Amino acid sequence: MAATETAHRPYVGQSIPRVEDGKLLRGKGTYVDDVTLPGLLHAAFLRSPFAHAKITRIDTSAAKAHPGVIEVLTGAEITGAYATGLPREEVKANSRPFLPADRVRFVGEAVACVVATSRYVAEDAAELIEVDYEPLPVVTNAEASLAPGAPLLYDDAESNNFAHIEFENGDVDGAFAAADHVFTKTFHHGRFHALPLEGRGIVADWNPGSRELTIWVSNQIPHLTRTLLALDLGIPEQQVRVIAPDVGGGFGLKIHLFPEDAVVVLASKQLGRPVKWIEDRYEALAASLHAKEIICELSIATRADGTFLAMKGRYVGDAGAYAAYPFTPLVDPMCAAVMLPSVYKIDAVRWEVDAAYTNKCPSGAYRGVGWTSGQTARESLIDDIARELEIDPMELRLKNTIPDEPYESATGCRYDGGSFGAAQRKAMELIDYTGFRERQREARAQGRYLGIGFSPFLEPGGWSGDLAKRMGFPFDYMDAASVTVDPTGNVTVTCGLHSHGQAHATTFAQVVADKLGVPIESVRVIEGDTAATAYGTGTFGSRSAVVAYGSIGRAADEVAGKIRQVAGLALEASPDDIELIGGAAVVRGAPDKSLPMIMVGLTAYFGAFVGGRRPQGMDPVLTATRSYEPPESYANGCCVVTVEVDVETGLASVERVGFVDDCGVMLNPMVVEGQIAGAVAQGIGGALYEECPYDADGNYLAGSLLDYLYPSSMEIPQIEIAHIETPSTVTEGGVKGVGEGGTIAAPAAVVNAVADALSPFNVRIESTPLDPNRVRALLRGSTG
Amino acid sequence: MARVVEGESIVSLTVNGEARRGIAEPRLLLADFLRSELGLTGTHVGCEQGVCGSCTIRLDGDLVRACTMFAVQADGASIETVEGLANGDELHPVQQAFHERHGLQCGFCTPGLLLATIDLLERNPDPTEDEIREELSGHVCRCTGYVGVVDAVKEAARKLGGGR
Repeated sequence: MAATETAHRPYVGQSIPRVEDGKLLRGKGTYVDDVTLPGLLHAAFLRSPFAHAKITRIDTSAAKAHPGVIEVLTGAEITGAYATGLPREEVKANSRPFLPADRVRFVGEAVACVVATSRYVAEDAAELIEVDYEPLPVVTNAEASLAPGAPLLYDDAESNNFAHIEFENGDVDGAFAAADHVFTKTFHHGRFHALPLEGRGIVADWNPGSRELTIWVSNQIPHLTRTLLALDLGIPEQQVRVIAPDVGGGFGLKIHLFPEDAVVVLASKQLGRPVKWIEDRYEALAASLHAKEIICELSIATRADGTFLAMKGRYVGDAGAYAAYPFTPLVDPMCAAVMLPSVYKIDAVRWEVDAAYTNKCPSGAYRGVGWTSGQTARESLIDDIARELEIDPMELRLKNTIPDEPYESATGCRYDGGSFGAAQRKAMELIDYTGFRERQREARAQGRYLGIGFSPFLEPGGWSGDLAKRMGFPFDYMDAASVTVDPTGNVTVTCGLHSHGQAHATTFAQVVADKLGVPIESVRVIEGDTAATAYGTGTFGSRSAVVAYGSIGRAADEVAGKIRQVAGLALEASPDDIELIGGAAVVRGAPDKSLPMIMVGLTAYFGAFVGGRRPQGMDPVLTATRSYEPPESYANGCCVVTVEVDVETGLASVERVGFVDDCGVMLNPMVVEGQIAGAVAQGIGGALYEECPYDADGNYLAGSLLDYLYPSSMEIPQIEIAHIETPSTVTEGGVKGVGEGGTIAAPAAVVNAVADALSPFNVRIESTPLDPNRVRALLRGSTG
Repeated sequence: MARVVEGESIVSLTVNGEARRGIAEPRLLLADFLRSELGLTGTHVGCEQGVCGSCTIRLDGDLVRACTMFAVQADGASIETVEGLANGDELHPVQQAFHERHGLQCGFCTPGLLLATIDLLERNPDPTEDEIREELSGHVCRCTGYVGVVDAVKEAARKLGGGR
């Protein structure tokens, strides 16, 4: 790219093709299972067939005697545990043993680990382990788990509740008493799964001589993993190196630490050899983490004309058998509760939250966390209200939508401006709402059932201290980035964020290339190795663009100042008169007086071009490490979905998806749209196809991809995306988060579209996923 | 090369035009053989039961799932994997199309999708969108919502001279 072009056309905002594609397209990425080391051993886990049972005996002798087996570990040998809590008085901390010694609490829980010379041998030997179980009573429903007399998962606890938390603002009871209408709905949101295509995996290599631990792990939070493993396993943090190389999808699941991680590390430490564990698909489905199952009980008080006055919400999250570590099972119900008011103007709100243990796989963060479930419940109720009051659902929404200016919600969220109403109107245009209603009438006359559903959303982003605390998690965050000009004038950037599909090597380079006026090809972004990067808390919560723009941008600005000093010295000009454009430092107004970046680098490092006369006292280091903890910030938009429902078979098919997104200033629209499309597809999956079901005995019923339905290219249509760009009023660069909005918003749009299609039948949708069986059940029970 | 012990055999085959040999016990899956015995880690394993499509390769010209086939069954065969697609620095037109149209994010499903796309366009150089979606429906992509993938296949058809 020509120098002048660079100067006049910033990279930020352009759809630059991805730097990371070259290796991935050639099959030259390095995912954890691609890592191999001399003497590598392989682990396999034996897992519980019971949902709740005492372990009365484990006999590993036959497994140990199996040829090729090096070691078999159980809860007798591995005694550590993860302690999950939150510094809030309502929370009772949970302890999850790395391997349980005397009790299992869900089907799929690991009870023993075999380490052998090959994965095949390790799996053979795991089948030779004998375990005697004494079954205990099982509870698989969150409400039932909180009821008096429910079987307790933890003998020393008074209840199965991880936490009960309440919040109230304004005169809620007064508003409900004075309301013309009170609308109520209980919505049981489905339990589904992030299920990245690459499962979990770890290679741990303990060096008994240097006492250094190196782990390669499929993970979104390498630095946090290093800190937590150091604390939990008693290994000094500086002796631990975590490498999260190419990661085949994370979606929030991989911001957790798992018992298998600790067991594999401890096995390597005990044996003094590297050990690898790669999760298989059953383990992923049954024993990693589920997500988003909340029983939401919502009430909205309105005036006769549909004006919202107040909202109440009770959110009972299904935590599964253990608290997900470290982010807790509150990521679903509490995040859902805090976002109850969403884009609607109300003066009073009350919520309460529980996170109930059940004999199921633990539940944790998945793209959009509980914002998804809360959104589906609220927007479904709003469509119910519109039908009951016979008001158009979008007229009802727009009537109650807050203005586009910065706004503080009834739950205390500080929205940093947006396009709350404009996005809804744009979605109506995009889908040709009026035209659709005509088409819908014509189709109905022919016995075909089309429906449309809207879902205006907020996407809390840039997850950091302010936002975490707003959502009820009292922690700060620390995200640093370093920017360094190398001696040859190229630029190396490091940070503690992690890219597993989000194109950080491209988008962050765009930011730095603009700040330093250099071609993007000269900027390299390094992530995913704690030995090579500045500390940061990883990638999740639509945080990375916001955090990176601030931290990397600040570091680049500081380095730019240093470059101006060096160039000023070499060009005999004031640093204030130096501009950085076209890959050079140029004296303003004198384009012939310029120093290419290679000369800047060589001058700074070695005194070249100034005859070794670098002044005493000048700091020649062209590097800076800076951090950024953004204020709370909220992207917004509106998803609209049209469906056709076959009332004979119950099959709901998505016909069109429109998505209006306002994530503030976009770094790379192509990448933004890729994030939206993927998130929408996952939302559609959760609304129609994907489910982690259990029977009453706690048996897990979707243990393979023949039972768990990922949406394919046949189920997801083209996704029509439109942008509004309202810069944040509070973040650096006006950047807001992106990545989760589609998964937050799409399920509600699908549910509303199905409800709209079935409106002649007077059905009331109160759960997801809306698979053909559920839709047929609704129709069988209908009065229409 | 390690010594062959009882029950194992030597599997000889051609991979991306190159003669290769490796040791396999009878139950060793072809995907594991390619990855661990031949070091060709571009073929990914996603489900080990032939559902997700990540491990798709071509064997004697046919698309197969390397996770549902034994290595010994491939003795004497000619195999194409993702590593054989690019010509030095030059990407295959299908790879180039996936790059230009944001047809990949995390990259885990990509090798299988590339081979399936090449195979599709050899049989049907000018597929409709419905045909593309149906042909690729056995390949799970968790990142893109298939939007970039479908665009990339259309672009690849154009690059190869067949597309609309």
